[in-house]
Amino acid sequence: MATLEHSVPRVATPAWLVVAGQELRDLWIAGRALAMMLAFSALVSVTTYLVATNQALNFLEQREAVNLTLQIGVAVGALIVLLGSADALSGERERGTLESLLLTPAPRRDLVIGKGLAALSLWLGAFLVLIPYVWFIGRGIGIVGVSLLSGLGVGTLLAVFLAGLGLLISALAGSNRMSLSISLFVLLALYAPNQMPTGAQQGWMGDLLLRIDPLSSGLHYLGKIVVDGHGAGQDASWLLSPLVAAVLACAAALVLGGRVSLRAGERP
Amino acid sequence: MTAVEPLDLELEPGVVLGFLGPNGAGKTTLIRMVTTILRPTSGSFEVAGIPDSRPEEIRRRVGVLPESAGYPDGQTGEEFLRYHARLYGQSRPSARVSARRLLEDVGLGERSNSLVSAYSRGMRQRLGIARALVNDPQVVFLDEPTLGLDPAGQRQVLGLVGRIARDRGATVVLSTHLLAEVEEVCDRVLIIHRGRVVVYGTVAEVASRAAAPRAAQVRVPAELSDRAKEALIEAGVPVLELDVERGRLSEAFLEMTS
Repeated sequence: MATLEHSVPRVATPAWLVVAGQELRDLWIAGRALAMMLAFSALVSVTTYLVATNQALNFLEQREAVNLTLQIGVAVGALIVLLGSADALSGERERGTLESLLLTPAPRRDLVIGKGLAALSLWLGAFLVLIPYVWFIGRGIGIVGVSLLSGLGVGTLLAVFLAGLGLLISALAGSNRMSLSISLFVLLALYAPNQMPTGAQQGWMGDLLLRIDPLSSGLHYLGKIVVDGHGAGQDASWLLSPLVAAVLACAAALVLGGRVSLRAGERP
Repeated sequence: MTAVEPLDLELEPGVVLGFLGPNGAGKTTLIRMVTTILRPTSGSFEVAGIPDSRPEEIRRRVGVLPESAGYPDGQTGEEFLRYHARLYGQSRPSARVSARRLLEDVGLGERSNSLVSAYSRGMRQRLGIARALVNDPQVVFLDEPTLGLDPAGQRQVLGLVGRIARDRGATVVLSTHLLAEVEEVCDRVLIIHRGRVVVYGTVAEVASRAAAPRAAQVRVPAELSDRAKEALIEAGVPVLELDVERGRLSEAFLEMTS
């Protein structure tokens, strides 16, 4: 049995980059991401078809049709990121592969960063799928570019927030099923203010609810840009909540995820 | 409740230590503590001269095959090892060379590009051992490496354990329930019970401490057993038991299946 002749260098490539590379391969080549993209494409196709042909939805003004498609794309794209990140650590724990990762000298924080970046790639994949649909619905009225740009910005903020949140839940949850369940519950709770009747969204209470909920706030901002034709900076205050949520979720994921242990709640 | 009592143990390179104890004795807990997976609630330790305040340095010097380790089904054996080699800081080309060499060493060279999902349990265990060696460790911890393997698989893994100590000069800590394995490959034995060291020494020392010699065994060809018995009786030696040794089931199994 031959021993390794070379001496092991300290760190050739940052561990988070190595983890991200491997996670991306596992996610996109092993097929889980492709299956998610297929489901996402089917959903956006159906939405676009209905918006373009359905009698009831056809009453929508074209800008509102673009906004509806974009909001569904952003919301579901963010959901995919949450599902991906919620599985990242608890899934490894359940499959028994976490221990071999924790045994390497790679800092645990780097494992979290690498997995978070891989989960974010799901949003970029979803956004690429979304582009032709937005173009199809919005062509001819000059809002395709601004819609896509604002969608990319808001979607990325929400994706970063949900990736951090998913990783945090995944690091702390006792099982993968629990991690996914909690994540979905939190996501539904975040969607709630946006689904309130228009009347309930008015007044200072409704406004406050919409503004403090990162998801509702981000989607509301998209509506202002796409439907009302406002400038990007005009309603920037609506982006405050997604931005703060993204920063807090990532910081919490880095601090608590950096202490990830073999079993949830154990001293690492 | 104290999971593991204070323990001071020095082992030379190339030594295989049999780490024994009943279920719940604290073997896996102890291995997880000294490999920095678990942090002790109190106390401190050193592995390969590195204090537990530097866990990343310890992890660079130890190799571990965890109990009931899982493997990513979507990766090939080579990919799995390459990934871990890179996490130890090896460059991409170096990781590739290491992975291929280790797969050859553990007898998986021909299956390097097969998905891990297609590996048998024995092959997965050997892959796990290769992973434990990816950083050329000074100390290797193998937690129940033969659990669930057929006799041929057990023999392959035990052969590998001996070679790790002999050829690499690594200190091997072999945690197991199978005493025959310990007698076969281990130089020293450590038995713990309820987190406390019960006995430590060479295999012969430990066996002799537990039971003083009660009878001697003389091995003669089976066809001469009657003559041997008569000779012993004539010489005034009482024969306590005469047993004609038959073929062992494990030998028959190996002969018919290998």
